[in-house]
Amino acid sequence: MTLEFAGISKAFDGREVLRGVDLRVEAGEVFALVGPSGVGKTTLLRCASFLLRPDGGVVRFGGREAPDEPGAALALRRRIGFVAQNPCLFRGTASYNVSFGLCVRGVEGRELEERTDEALESVGLRHLANAHGSKLSAGEAQRVAFARAIVVRPEVLLLDEFTANLDPANVAQLEAAVTAYHRRSRATVLIVTHNLFQAKRVATRAGFLFDGRIVETGGVEGFFTNPRDGRTKAFVRGEMPY
Amino acid sequence: MHFRIGRRWLAALLAATLVLVAVGAYLSLPRSYLLMATTTSTRDTGLLPYLLPEFSADTGVQIRYIAVGTGQALDSGRRGDVDVVMVHAPSLEDRFVAEGHGLCRNPIMHNRFVIVGPSADPAGIRNATSAADAFLRIANASARFESRADGSGTHAKELELWTAAGLDPASSGVRYERTEQGMGATLTIANERDAYTLSDDGTWFAREPDLPYLELLFSEDAALENPYSVIRVNPAAHPGVHASQAVAFVRWLVGPRGQSLIGAFTVNGHAIFTPDGAGEC
Amino acid sequence: MAGDILGVTLLSLLVCASSTLIATLIGVPLGVTLGLREFGGRRLLRNLLFTLYGLPPVLAGLLVFLLLSRGGPLGGLGLLFTPLGMVFAQVVVVTPIILGITMSVVATMERRVKETALALGADRRQLSTTVLREAAAGILTAVMVGFGRAISEVGAVFIVGGHIEGQTQVLTTTIITDISQAEYGHAIALGVILLAIAAVVYSLLYRLQERTLP
Repeated sequence: MTLEFAGISKAFDGREVLRGVDLRVEAGEVFALVGPSGVGKTTLLRCASFLLRPDGGVVRFGGREAPDEPGAALALRRRIGFVAQNPCLFRGTASYNVSFGLCVRGVEGRELEERTDEALESVGLRHLANAHGSKLSAGEAQRVAFARAIVVRPEVLLLDEFTANLDPANVAQLEAAVTAYHRRSRATVLIVTHNLFQAKRVATRAGFLFDGRIVETGGVEGFFTNPRDGRTKAFVRGEMPY
Repeated sequence: MHFRIGRRWLAALLAATLVLVAVGAYLSLPRSYLLMATTTSTRDTGLLPYLLPEFSADTGVQIRYIAVGTGQALDSGRRGDVDVVMVHAPSLEDRFVAEGHGLCRNPIMHNRFVIVGPSADPAGIRNATSAADAFLRIANASARFESRADGSGTHAKELELWTAAGLDPASSGVRYERTEQGMGATLTIANERDAYTLSDDGTWFAREPDLPYLELLFSEDAALENPYSVIRVNPAAHPGVHASQAVAFVRWLVGPRGQSLIGAFTVNGHAIFTPDGAGEC
Repeated sequence: MAGDILGVTLLSLLVCASSTLIATLIGVPLGVTLGLREFGGRRLLRNLLFTLYGLPPVLAGLLVFLLLSRGGPLGGLGLLFTPLGMVFAQVVVVTPIILGITMSVVATMERRVKETALALGADRRQLSTTVLREAAAGILTAVMVGFGRAISEVGAVFIVGGHIEGQTQVLTTTIITDISQAEYGHAIALGVILLAIAAVVYSLLYRLQERTLP
């Protein structure tokens, strides 16, 4: 499913954050969105996950806008996955958390158990299935949050700096999990990151968000080594103040 | 699965609530007993736990009562929430009957009001010539006086006596304090504050052991009589009242059995009620 | 005497447990729904609830009395001077407390919890259930405070119940009449029973609450 932002604008308390963002992520591709801190990457992502309504512009999924009718809107929402920067686990075990989305969709019994198991295995945490969420380390918790998001097989996966606070081992684990999921499902993945190396490892295409707009996009190889725009150049060289 | 656990709790809560409410409902079925409204003074004399079981044993009619202020007792009759009213406030009773809420007054007994005060009796009311004179002496001595100030029969009598003495208590030099409570509470306050007060003798004798700083100082005056009546709530105005049970109660109270029991009732050795039932009105 | 104490205690338990349960069944779902909803009049509603926290039980008792009296609008139900009438009066007092605290807990719950549930595809009902579950500890506090109000209040049950022997006498109303008759020893004994009931109920609820924490 393609994910398209057309003329998205959003202001908070009079301060304009997004000023007409145009971006198209092709179906089945992994796209990295980079930019300085506070530029609005998370805001844009939240517009795509129904958590925020833009002031102007539309978000299109598979070429169509989100429907008004609540039942259809809910159905669409259930095809989109979102992983935030900090895991927010529900009160309960790891497997309770992972199976949450399945329960929401009415999956139960044997299928629920198997899929939960599988998802935990894909992030290397099958052995912690019965561990209580509060007893997990930050990395383990985030891996559970990721498993929780993908167990329902979203067609669009939105990742918001989801390895930002983790140590390299966990980062590697999660990047492998994303790549594996993408390969299995051919989902459209939009990953927001400020880690250029991560972008290069995981994505095929990248875009630079600055001053409320998409400044440039391109394939990851050329984008980071030889960007066209001067601002992008300044950013990838680390010359832009965060 | 996640959401079903919530449902189990909800079901358990609902079940528990329904069971409890069912028990509550069973205990709240329309009453078969006669309900009387009377005053806290009447309750505080201890007469009712002595008298009412005898009535039930003799007639088979169950009776219960609420004990509230005189005003509220009569108001309960006005609202039709009770079947019969027993108070000791003749002028208010007359108005109650005149309004059509009560059928008529049935006098049943009287006790006395007594003036109690500190044992040292600074106002010297032991030697008063009348109740009004006693009040005059209290004013002249600028003594402390506790008034119930609650619209009760006792309060009405107290105001009557001030008027008879030609005084306005608030401006007469009396250290006048308004408790706005029942007789028991007012006596407790008078005991604590070395004050005079007007009490019915029933409550006084019942509470006397707990009131070491007070003494009965004056009571010999016909003006201090405190007449009790029982009035049936008018079935024409309030069709729901238990009329026949009320009739049985009134007849029994003014009849020989009720009257002799009333006369035989004592509080700490004192017979406080003088039966004066004169037949059913 | 012992028989009365047992009867009075049991009736107190019945009335307070009933009213707390009913207030919970009304107040918690409403509190969750209102806590989740962003609506214009929310500040006004919150202020109204805070005012109702301070609603004196005697005033609630008076209002319910006027409602249930024979002459009043609900007089036909015949609930004045009955245990069910007392439950009704207590529900009026306790519901705002449980509703208000629940609403507070839910409204101040981290936005992320609700967002996570929504992002995972929860519909409105599933979101409410999830929020309720996450707020369980806070909601149990609301129930504890509500029960505390019920078991300790005397005004509402006195006015609506009438303290009728064998019918509507509870621990608190008996303590009041004991005091007015200088039966202080009896009053204290009943007070101790009341505290014991509170202690038992609270320890059970605390135990439940502990199970909801990590």
